[in-house]
Amino acid sequence: MTTTTVPSSKKETSKFGQQLRTNFQTYALVVAMIIIWIFFFIQTDGIYLSPQNFSNLFRQMTITGILSVGLVMVIVAGHIDLSVGKLAGFVSVVVAYLQAYTWNQYLPDASPLLTTALSVLIGLIVGTLYGVIQGWVIAYLNVPSFITTLGSMWILNGLILIRTAGKTIAANQPMFSVIAQGYLPPTTGWIIAIGVSIVLFISMFTGRRRKVKYGFTLPPLYQDILKTVILSALVFGYVYYVNEYSGVQNPVLILIIIAVIMSYVANNTKFGRYTYAIGGNREASRLSGINIRGNTFTIFIVMGFLCGVSGVVMASYVGYGTIAAGQGYELFAIAACILGGTSTLGGVGTVFGAMIGAMIMASLTNGLQIMNVPSAWQYVLSGLVLVIAVFLDRVMKRNR
Amino acid sequence: MDNNVILEFKNVTKKFPGITALDNITFSIRRGEIHGICGENGAGKSTLMKILAGVYPSGTYEGQVLYNGQELKLVDRSIHQAVEEGIATVFQELTLVPSITVGENIYLGKEPVKVGIINWEKLYADSKQVLEKYHLDVSERSIVHHLGVGKMQMTEIAKALSEDAKVLILDEPTSALAEAEIEQLMDILRGLKKHGVTCIYISHKLDEFFKITDSITVLRDGKMIITEPTKNLTVEILVKNMVGREIKERFPKGNRKPGEVILEVEDLHALDPRDPSTELLKGVSFDLRRGEILGIAGLMGSGRTELVMTLFGEFGKITQGKIKLEGREITIHNSRQAMSYGISLVPEDRKMHGLVLIQSILRNISLANLNRFSTWFRIDDIAELKESTDYAKSLNIKASNLQAMAESLSGGNQQKVVIAKWLMSQPKILIMDDPTRGIDVGTKYEIYKIMNDLSEKGIAIIMISSDLEEVLGMSDRIMVMCENHSVSTLATAKATQEKIMALATGTVSQPVLER
Repeated sequence: MTTTTVPSSKKETSKFGQQLRTNFQTYALVVAMIIIWIFFFIQTDGIYLSPQNFSNLFRQMTITGILSVGLVMVIVAGHIDLSVGKLAGFVSVVVAYLQAYTWNQYLPDASPLLTTALSVLIGLIVGTLYGVIQGWVIAYLNVPSFITTLGSMWILNGLILIRTAGKTIAANQPMFSVIAQGYLPPTTGWIIAIGVSIVLFISMFTGRRRKVKYGFTLPPLYQDILKTVILSALVFGYVYYVNEYSGVQNPVLILIIIAVIMSYVANNTKFGRYTYAIGGNREASRLSGINIRGNTFTIFIVMGFLCGVSGVVMASYVGYGTIAAGQGYELFAIAACILGGTSTLGGVGTVFGAMIGAMIMASLTNGLQIMNVPSAWQYVLSGLVLVIAVFLDRVMKRNR
Repeated sequence: MDNNVILEFKNVTKKFPGITALDNITFSIRRGEIHGICGENGAGKSTLMKILAGVYPSGTYEGQVLYNGQELKLVDRSIHQAVEEGIATVFQELTLVPSITVGENIYLGKEPVKVGIINWEKLYADSKQVLEKYHLDVSERSIVHHLGVGKMQMTEIAKALSEDAKVLILDEPTSALAEAEIEQLMDILRGLKKHGVTCIYISHKLDEFFKITDSITVLRDGKMIITEPTKNLTVEILVKNMVGREIKERFPKGNRKPGEVILEVEDLHALDPRDPSTELLKGVSFDLRRGEILGIAGLMGSGRTELVMTLFGEFGKITQGKIKLEGREITIHNSRQAMSYGISLVPEDRKMHGLVLIQSILRNISLANLNRFSTWFRIDDIAELKESTDYAKSLNIKASNLQAMAESLSGGNQQKVVIAKWLMSQPKILIMDDPTRGIDVGTKYEIYKIMNDLSEKGIAIIMISSDLEEVLGMSDRIMVMCENHSVSTLATAKATQEKIMALATGTVSQPVLER
């Protein structure tokens, strides 16, 4: 790829200006999301942002959201995974099958807690194992990820058909349903909010202390405090608003935990850094002593695990396993990553961006549903939004 | 109007946000001459050429460019309009499509067609004609990726000339060429002059200007400093005008005291991993001492890069021979292993192999050294920033801060980032493959000083270079390679350019190793 013409290296920009510029796309996305929200808010006479729908909106993005968290790393590394939707679907079918048939037969006296735990565990193992196989083929047998995962998509589709035998399998046991349909009691929500802001403040202060230790000048204290206060306020605001309905949604909590962990992994571990480096320049990474195969292998294992999580949530959310489970989810997840600023060329992308991307996709679908737009037109509009958003982003980048 | 002038710059000023890249440039280029333009990185050479190529179209700069007495008005940002006007550019980075033939590349985008179908006979006949007319010794039917850099460049020149160019801009054409290929290029340029083509020649290698140009313009910080016939100038005058101060010697004096032998390579043979039927190394032997700089000289394609890549564990499959580190025989299978033995490599092509261009300076410097700052699940990012900052400062990397993208830096600063990365890994042996390629005089000098400092600290340095003066100026000993084997190792005191060239081209054989 040719680099865009950078006029000169000596261009002095203030640190703030530079930060704003690098985060520009993220801010633009947040603004776009708010515009979408306002639009639907007006169009639906306020129903759209009522506590109930607000709560649903976030719940609806969880299944593809979890997939996009993993996909960001896959795409950043310069790969693609077309099998994520079907793998999550397959896991959901396996889990539903276990819930509907296996436990009754082999563990008739087991408590619902035990069977649910076993279902979840096996679901996660199935996803991870598939990731191991797929990662091994891509990393060590050098089959391009596009081909491998395209093949997987069909294989998994076949496996879903075999397992379901064309029928719908119920997975609506109360204990199991709690995973994706349950809510935290309001008090627990508040406790979590308090815990999160305490952690935010502590990490801000330890960060400052470490900087001092290495002799760096600190940004003004009020700036850091303001940042932390705003973040905490967002957390409290969210908890307050969903408590107005039923409380913090379990699947959203799962998604947030996963996103936070992966965001940390992406920036603060060798694995994450290497992933960005490999996607940015594979040869330079190899010559810097990075184990490219091992890293690639790990990425697909993580992706498989997240498909497992997504599949469990899916089974619990919809309450059954069907032949269409996960159909097309990979495309939603890819779209979320791209909307969130992930480069298809590799090396660039953030988990946070992908979350906002997933949020935008979910906001659109949800709003159009409330407005009773036929699903055919929902597809047309979603497609247009994706292409236009990426086009606008290109235009803005060029003019910067 | 002076009919002898083909191009005239009149008060050309080009501003970018926060910087004036060209500041009131005025000079003219005579018809049919070879006009050299020199200046340090960031002096404005590339910006000026981009105006001629239409990358910065008319209206985005102030002042006028007169072409044959008429104002040059290029409007679209593509280079096509400039090419139609007769101004063609051979870019520093080759822009050929590697998987197709020379002829196809020459006529890419302008293939002769008959009712919408490519007329292959005409395409190849025309290509052949262009190649022969300008004495470009390359076959029109060769697939480009089979060619060496020199022939690729000929193809690039043919591509430029196929449109009947009046002005040919060559942006650092020799940066990737070996000595013999440079001579060939010089002959080609002399031939072009006979055909009345005006050449604008940009280079960092000052001696080339005196071999080939008729006049020279020096730019510094966006300003035109001098424009003179070459015969009125000397290297000293050029350097003084380029850097704005006098550099007394090109190579700083070191106080190196080579110690005991740290690395011995005995009769190394290796195969090309992509094509096991070709032998890349056919018997290479040398030794390396602590605190010395060993220069490796040889033509492009003599196996220099293959040798060091093999020593770094990332290229050839060793079939025969020994590598001994501190007296102990070792095998190296990949770069991780090489690094664990204390071997580091600053690769030849910094953009392809040295840097992740879309990442920050910080991340590039720390990339090979994350183990130092991290446990399995955490990188101490502040320690990382601290140590990277220290290295960046000690190497004098010029950037607003370490968060700046590597691609925004000039070539010299990019190279310093690569060097910083490898210094941080604290090597015992530092291999530098053409470390000053495409870098301006001032930064070269800084890199030489860094090399001296390192060797004085006891690090053994292997330096490959295409620039014989550099090899002679910097090395303690010089190993010459020819046709994939080592011919001889000379003490620098006994070496001359002629002697090295003779060995490198195989015109004398001297299979003895002077130890």
